[in-house]
Amino acid sequence: MTIRNDSARNGVALIACLAIGGVFIYAGVTKISDPLHFADSINAFATLPPAVIDPLALGLPFYEIICAVLTFLPPTRRVGALALTVASLMFFIALLSALLRGLTLDCGCFGTGVPSRPRMWMELGLDFLLVGGAAAVYFHSLLRSPRSSTYVIGTPDL
Amino acid sequence: MSLAATPIRRDALPPVATHGIGWDVARDLFFVAVIASISLGLGLAKNHFSSQPLPMVYRSPEQRLEAELTTLVNTPPANLAPAETVALAEFRSVVDSKSALILDARSSVFFQQGHVPGAHNLARDNFAEDYRRLSPVLKGMNDKPIIVYCSGGYCHDSKMVAHALMMLGFDNVRVFTGGWDEWSAAQLPTSTESAP
Repeated sequence: MTIRNDSARNGVALIACLAIGGVFIYAGVTKISDPLHFADSINAFATLPPAVIDPLALGLPFYEIICAVLTFLPPTRRVGALALTVASLMFFIALLSALLRGLTLDCGCFGTGVPSRPRMWMELGLDFLLVGGAAAVYFHSLLRSPRSSTYVIGTPDL
Repeated sequence: MSLAATPIRRDALPPVATHGIGWDVARDLFFVAVIASISLGLGLAKNHFSSQPLPMVYRSPEQRLEAELTTLVNTPPANLAPAETVALAEFRSVVDSKSALILDARSSVFFQQGHVPGAHNLARDNFAEDYRRLSPVLKGMNDKPIIVYCSGGYCHDSKMVAHALMMLGFDNVRVFTGGWDEWSAAQLPTSTESAP
């Protein structure tokens, strides 16, 4: 019974990894070719100083793609999942803050779009799911890995 | 069967716990920071080899437009595309019939002291701001001709503004080379009021 539960959990974790990784690869690819528009989207949040916006717009798409690829690979899944949890949480907080301040903007999450508050709420919901999913994958991997000095980056768990 | 008699293989034992979850989380966060640094490095490298690299400090669309317009209007006179010119007689009939948009490329100080009736001030030295202010008027022009003038004689401001307008997509732009000097010397009507 325990073995069956474990394999079911592993299966769910694998599906979650593929879904979350797929979303982040798509998000990264759509942004990587047009950093200028993404920088404009970040600026619309009115939270970051100009010196941070362009480096963030340049680095974030690569971060998303690298982390998504890491979640696909069992030996690096744990770190990839944590990295995506951090990114999703950052997006969630930024979007929630913009909504609470009454801003209407295009978050630039998936390339260029039309500024719209209903769309922002939908993207906030997606971010919430991504935070939850990535955190669940991370803690699933973390709790299953024997804590030994012989493990370097996570533990192959699937 | 006695338990003591059962041999235990050392490699069958589970790994020995040498640290807690906190250490694992800290180590994972360290790797996240490494990934972030690598991503930033890749982004900066891609930007370095890009044909249109982003500046390190963000500029808003308004700031970019202003920089672009300022660069455009400051094209050295030697590199300007030749614009069609208009003589005084034709310019006067156009002003009287209001069949063209008249632009004064002189500084606002000179414009306020006196200008051709109906002219708008699109100063060469304040081009970006004036262009933004006049955008609704310019966009409403459609195919109506635009005539630019400056002080006259050897001034280049009208040619520079005309060149910038042509680069911005306005096709029918001409220059009244006689400028303000020729217009006022001919004792033609002048105005100190801004056009609506």
